[in-house]
Amino acid sequence: MTFDLVELGHVAVILALMLSLVGVAAPILGLRTRNGAWIVMGRQAVTLIFLLLAIAMGTMIDAFLTRDFSVKYVAATSNSKLPLFYTVAALWGGHEGSLLLWVFILSAFCTTAVWLHWRTQPATIPYLIIVESALMFGFLALIIFLSNPFERLIPAAADGKDLNPLLQDPAMVMHPPMLYMGYVGFSIPFSFAMASLFSGRLGEEWLKVTQRWTIFAWLCLTTGILMGGYWAYYELGWGGYWGWDPVENASFMPWLVGTAFLHSAMVQEKRKMFKVWNLFLIIMTFSLSLIGTFLVRSGVLTSVHSFATDPGRGLYILLFLATVMTVAFGTLIVRSPKLRSLIQLDSIVSRESVFLFNNLFFLVAMFTVFLGTLYPLIVETMGRNKVTVGPPYYNAVFMPIALGLVFLMGVGPSIAWRKASMENLRKNFLLPAVVGLAALTAALAAGIRSPLALGGLAVVGFVASTIVFDFGKLTAFWAARQHVTLVAGFFTAFIKNQRRWAGLVTHFGVLILIIGIISSTIYQTEKVVSMRVGDRLQLGPYTITFKQLHAVTGANWTAQEGVMDVTRGDQFIAEMRPQKRIYDVSMTPTTEAAIHTIHTGQIFVTMPEVSQDGTAMVRALINPLVLWVWGGGAIMGIGVILNLFRPKRDGT
Amino acid sequence: MSAAPTPPLPPPTPSPMDAPSGGEDRFKLRGWHVALVASLIGLFLLFYQGLWGDPSAIPTVLIGTPAPTFSGPTVVDGSTFDLSQYRGKVVMVNFWASWCQECRLEHENLLALYNQFRTNPDFVMVGINYQDKLEDARQYLSVYGSPFQQVRDLKGTISIDYGVYGVPETFIIDKQGVIRHKEVGPIVGPDYNLLTERIIPTLLQSPGPSAS
Repeated sequence: MTFDLVELGHVAVILALMLSLVGVAAPILGLRTRNGAWIVMGRQAVTLIFLLLAIAMGTMIDAFLTRDFSVKYVAATSNSKLPLFYTVAALWGGHEGSLLLWVFILSAFCTTAVWLHWRTQPATIPYLIIVESALMFGFLALIIFLSNPFERLIPAAADGKDLNPLLQDPAMVMHPPMLYMGYVGFSIPFSFAMASLFSGRLGEEWLKVTQRWTIFAWLCLTTGILMGGYWAYYELGWGGYWGWDPVENASFMPWLVGTAFLHSAMVQEKRKMFKVWNLFLIIMTFSLSLIGTFLVRSGVLTSVHSFATDPGRGLYILLFLATVMTVAFGTLIVRSPKLRSLIQLDSIVSRESVFLFNNLFFLVAMFTVFLGTLYPLIVETMGRNKVTVGPPYYNAVFMPIALGLVFLMGVGPSIAWRKASMENLRKNFLLPAVVGLAALTAALAAGIRSPLALGGLAVVGFVASTIVFDFGKLTAFWAARQHVTLVAGFFTAFIKNQRRWAGLVTHFGVLILIIGIISSTIYQTEKVVSMRVGDRLQLGPYTITFKQLHAVTGANWTAQEGVMDVTRGDQFIAEMRPQKRIYDVSMTPTTEAAIHTIHTGQIFVTMPEVSQDGTAMVRALINPLVLWVWGGGAIMGIGVILNLFRPKRDGT
Repeated sequence: MSAAPTPPLPPPTPSPMDAPSGGEDRFKLRGWHVALVASLIGLFLLFYQGLWGDPSAIPTVLIGTPAPTFSGPTVVDGSTFDLSQYRGKVVMVNFWASWCQECRLEHENLLALYNQFRTNPDFVMVGINYQDKLEDARQYLSVYGSPFQQVRDLKGTISIDYGVYGVPETFIIDKQGVIRHKEVGPIVGPDYNLLTERIIPTLLQSPGPSAS
């Protein structure tokens, strides 16, 4: 065989696996012998791993682009008719490639962290290298021995099986990498936390170093989750964006604990409290990322995201997971006597205690999701029938907790540290409470009766006004003090404490998101009817007329397309064209939704079924304010980016 | 590998073994230590156990056991259907609902399957309408057609007896009245072939209860 890129990539991964052992061993030797050269060698090892994995990724992408179907993975997840854009993304369209991407991102982050913090964190860097290298070893061994994307197919396939058509979508191209960047991003704070535990440097330093890493990881995870929701919304065709599927839950659980960690880290930074708690939270966050990988990749749970199952692979991931969690929590337990906070909680009415409640709520929220996700497994293990836990459980249990969290989101940033006086409470919360009650009354008057919607609006009103009043007061203060206009005062106020205001922008995004979720879940209108050309359907105030049914073809699919006119009274609103597609190679049908936006709500039409006699099953929905979900997400993202790129000051 | 100047070596790092342990810092087992370790062990055991299950396989608790008998009004005219009248025949019981998207997917196959075996006097096919409104069910049947009997599961008791947790689900009962096969999800692709080429013909050829 001539020089072959795929084999080069394969060798690169094998070398990376061996180097990860060097990355573990060299810094240990360096610490033992107090010889810095070993630690430099550790750094070289992780840097080389990164470069080798970049080569491996490159060769895999090349195999996809050159349509090398002698590679089993390429043949399984792509096809010669697959458009170029999706051909690259097919790399993470399956299990083996996803893992390669996972470990590649891990090595990229690890290398960045080692070079970035090399000068400032000399004492913890060796431990960071050890922990990260051990993690990379775990994943690289899994890739080489149990899920090798470089495996050959002899003889080569004439053509590939094609990428799952549901994954042939722009949002799906970016969704897995974002999610992995989130998961893996949390490995850096985790590794610093472990470094702090191993090295005995148990102060606040690891939190300060990793603060931006945590925010970055959180941003990636949040974006990844929202993208997944967006994809589900217009690609899966059931009109919703979140189905509480085990795989969705697997990404949501680390998000919940990661968010708790993000907040409680601030308490330790400012008040040196919650030391054990923060270590516990970050270990938990990263463990949940691994558990998510385990649940998704081992086939333990039944899910609409059907991934290949293989008990051997699952067993390996379980052993890896158990090792990581045992070492991490074990070290935490052994070290816990040294981690006692010197400061006690002064008062139950204080910002510290609000943060404590925030943490408890997030953990309880995580636990409800965890229980819902694992309940079928528990029941099955006890030898009973299979069961599934669906949205009714989550709506009943999770939603009230979420509203409680939103309420705390209003209280936390405005309540005083240590002990809030009556004066502080009155000054900051009397008006917002009035606004909240006014929102409740207005909602009642408008005829809203759903407890969730009423509670949601009251809480959103309360929190929004705390944010607005907070901004308002400081804007007026700075405008008066610097004798400038209110607009200039607003910017001064923002720049003076960008970290706080950026956080409040994110909170504001959450409020928008919550309104979007409540409105589009509770006030959704849905009709499912069978229609023939010429039939009409009344959906709320809109009339949908089925004008035509014809065949259309795309690059690698053919479809039955319905042409429908949406009118309201005499007024023409839009023409919508839902499709029932069949992808050529896999013969898989997909349902392509037609979506028309009116203000910030959407009309959503799909044809889940078209029979040969020309009868189409038409599913039409009105999702009021559904764009607020994505808009809120975008505002949250802007807040986080403002937080990441704030000017450095006071060491924060 | 990189032209960047090498930063200075880190100073010697205190190893955990060197850390002095003060008297008040002595390790003491606390409640949360025990709780944490116990929950971790429980979690790992659960995951380990879960590994050996096939996520798409449905437990075979009902397979090999006598099929629960049921009776109920039919969708079309409300007359009573009673399963016990069909003892000695191979019965295919299909749970469906008009709101179920996947049921539509398999409907054509159901019709084809029925046409294949309808001439065999030992074959009976019955649909169970699950958690549905009567008018919706009737409309569905008028659109898609139903040459075989359809029974309404008025109180949901039939579905509970058969352990149905979603539709469509299909059961094949042999001539002895024992459940022989359970299909979860639409009968399409290889599942359809398995039923029509292997399972149902085999059961139809097997002797009836009188012979045993």
